[in-house]
Amino acid sequence: MGKKDANVRMSLQTLRVLETFLENPAVQLAGAEVHQRCGIASGTLYPILLRLESAGWFVSQWESIDPSSAGRPRRRLYRLTSTGLRRASEVFASFNRGVLA
Amino acid sequence: MSQRNEEWAEPEIDGVSHWLIHHAASWAPEALSSRLEEEWLADLECRSSALSRLGLALGCCWATVVIANEFSRTRVPTATPVVAAKGYITLADRNFGYFSLRSGTLFLILGLHGALFCGLVTTLSLTRGSVTQPDLPNQVLNPVPIEVSVLPGR
Repeated sequence: MGKKDANVRMSLQTLRVLETFLENPAVQLAGAEVHQRCGIASGTLYPILLRLESAGWFVSQWESIDPSSAGRPRRRLYRLTSTGLRRASEVFASFNRGVLA
Repeated sequence: MSQRNEEWAEPEIDGVSHWLIHHAASWAPEALSSRLEEEWLADLECRSSALSRLGLALGCCWATVVIANEFSRTRVPTATPVVAAKGYITLADRNFGYFSLRSGTLFLILGLHGALFCGLVTTLSLTRGSVTQPDLPNQVLNPVPIEVSVLPGR
């Protein structure tokens, strides 16, 4: 997933995913946790996560656990990058300006 | 499906879910295939019920289609890139052959409705032709003699 700081198609579901991460920008969330928090179906959620990662808004890494000792497979964790945080904040600010104007 | 049936069928449903995720990941672009399979299988373990896991697996099949579509489009440069104002791309960017995805879906739904209507009309016309009674000729019936019998005791 190569290009950085690219444009992202904004849909309602994308906004909900961004809003979930903006509640605590430092937190790392797996896809299952994002699903639990914002209720977006997996068929929509994973393409959004990959799209945002491809655009450089998110970065992902494998959970640093030993699957055999933890008793479960390692999860892929996503978190906002500084670029993603800035761009997401701009998007929500532009929507707020549009509502207030 | 009741809770007892779901518990009874849980191994079968989980088997289907794992199979769906494995195949969905294999349909994904090669660079993402193994990563997506491991990620989806890990997220599958977080779901509590078998039906929820099946829903996740079905969603992953749809996600693969979307990801493969977007991955192929990002690899092939377009002649006229869509550049939207305000720094993000609109829904017009998403194409489905010659039409946008939304138009394609609309045409598909209209086509299905048209095919259903044609099938219904054809079936009704055939059924109506076989069920309709042929014209019956009118016949004058002879009067039926009426016999009045007197009951005994009256």
